[in-house]
Amino acid sequence: MAGGFTKSDIGGLLAKQGILIAFVIFMIGFTVANERFLAPENIMGVVRSSAILGVMALGVTFVVISGNLDLSVGSMMSFSTIVVLDLHDKIGPELAIPAMFAMTLCLGAFIGFLVGYLKLNSLIVTLGMLSAIHGLTLTYSGGKNMDIANKGETWFAVFGQGSFLGIPVPILIFGLLAALLGMVLGKTPFGRKVYAVGGNGVAATFSGIPRARVVFTCYLLSSLCVATAGLIQASRSMGSQNTVGQGLELEVLAAVILGGASLLGGSGTIFKTIIGVLILGFIQNGLLLVGLQFYAQYVVTWVIIILAVWLDIAAKRGRLLSPIA
Amino acid sequence: MKLRNILVATTAIAAASIAGSAAAADKMKIGITQNNVGVDSYQTTYDKSFKEAVEANDNVEAVVLDAGGDVARQIAQIEDLIQQQVQAIIIWPTNGEAVIPAVRKAHKAGIPVIVTNSNIAEAGFEFVKSFSGPDNITQGSRSAEIMCDKFKEMGIETTAQVVQISGQPGYTTAIERQKGFDDRLPEVCPDVTIVETQPGDWNREKSQKVMEAFLVKYDKIDGVYSGDDNMGVGALNAAKAAGRDGIIFVGATNFAVGYEAMEKGEYWGSIYQSPVDDAKAALKTAIDVLEGKELPFLNYFDTPKITQDNMSDFTKPVF
Repeated sequence: MAGGFTKSDIGGLLAKQGILIAFVIFMIGFTVANERFLAPENIMGVVRSSAILGVMALGVTFVVISGNLDLSVGSMMSFSTIVVLDLHDKIGPELAIPAMFAMTLCLGAFIGFLVGYLKLNSLIVTLGMLSAIHGLTLTYSGGKNMDIANKGETWFAVFGQGSFLGIPVPILIFGLLAALLGMVLGKTPFGRKVYAVGGNGVAATFSGIPRARVVFTCYLLSSLCVATAGLIQASRSMGSQNTVGQGLELEVLAAVILGGASLLGGSGTIFKTIIGVLILGFIQNGLLLVGLQFYAQYVVTWVIIILAVWLDIAAKRGRLLSPIA
Repeated sequence: MKLRNILVATTAIAAASIAGSAAAADKMKIGITQNNVGVDSYQTTYDKSFKEAVEANDNVEAVVLDAGGDVARQIAQIEDLIQQQVQAIIIWPTNGEAVIPAVRKAHKAGIPVIVTNSNIAEAGFEFVKSFSGPDNITQGSRSAEIMCDKFKEMGIETTAQVVQISGQPGYTTAIERQKGFDDRLPEVCPDVTIVETQPGDWNREKSQKVMEAFLVKYDKIDGVYSGDDNMGVGALNAAKAAGRDGIIFVGATNFAVGYEAMEKGEYWGSIYQSPVDDAKAALKTAIDVLEGKELPFLNYFDTPKITQDNMSDFTKPVF
């Protein structure tokens, strides 16, 4: 059968890439509805504004595969954004950026310690941190919006607004980080340990995998991604309110799950998460372009997500309905 | 002799304590429960200004509370204030509907209720003594007038196309500003069309996304009206990134970022609404009610138009 596809090859492809097929179908649908949807500047715009969500989703993918949740990323992103904006005017961007990364990594390390070493439930820990970090941000800023005073006189804008060889910098950062973390997850011993810990924690422990340290590192990676997202966000708008990341934790989680990562841990890939992020970004943009009445958009967004998940599952089992009624 | 001394002493103490409590009773005791201090600069500044206004007035003492955006907590706070027997209660509603039963309770306890900043639903009006705050419908109309005047000056009032970025869906301020703008624009500039309205949720990043989509969808956009300057600046960023010049941006609630963009000539105008005025107006309304003055039910404080032409008359907003 050299050169040809057998039925089981196609079946295998469908099963592996169900979510990709769903993605293509939605893209075609939106293009039919508005021919501007596929215009290069629109595609570029959507990918650029999805980059912030995407960068955060990369880190959360690690956490979810390791069998945990991270609901604190939204308020942690607000924290990073506010801190870097505030420090920018006080100590200059060269110092503000590493200082912000250090502070955000401390938060990630703290969560990683609680979930990894103390074995506390990640839902409880990160849900609590969601409001704790929000409070921290408000205390830090006194509730005020942060703005860079001289927006025209700083190179800080490069991360959110610059472009290199015609590609916006946020997309480059997202791409590079995705390639790097994709490699870490797919090709390194650490990556295999993440799957092992999430797939069967007890078995992993008995195989001599340091479970606590793996979980800790996943949260550290997640906070690294959040700090990067905060940097892009701050640089993109050069000013921010305290609630800039509010609600993003659920969008991030939706993107990761949409990409096919299991909430129970042990499965998922960086590539699929990227598809999940793009689906969410293009749905939001597509519905705006179609000009749907906005109260209806919430409902339609939900319908599309459910359809995508259904298509993915149907492709995996090779039939639309569950074999077990 | 000894007995007389004791008598004199006790009488003096009693007299002093009566005088003391009389002095305390002379002070008006006003309670306030705010919506969500710290969530944005407007509310933070309001809180600070209210406390300062109380400090500055020797006749007033205040119990200042914050509901943290939580309706249940606000209802509990109103009940607390009733228990503490304050003489008037000022409420910045977290939710226009859900607070009505608590407002009714205060009204029944004989405590006048003043609503500040955003009004409660009409069903609760009978329990409210006075509303003090901005007139959001007028603000929307004024924004429409600012935009129309500018279009006339540019000579494009017959062809201009406008997009609108509204506040959070379901939020009274958002609905009223949009209504004011939608109703007034066709009256002053009948040939200008509002091609589309989408919410920016009071969020700069979201508004930037919405504007990016508008810019892709419409080749011709002459004006953008945003429900506040924070969102307006998000839209402005999108237009700048796309290299689309010459768009007239009009907002509401002039923020420092909006003021700065006006200084640079990138943003045309807004509505000047000061949280300091808002807080002072609320306290003054409560004092006027307690002093028995006749007040209109809707006691608006003025929120004037601000554009690049007259901005030197206004100080830069602190938020």
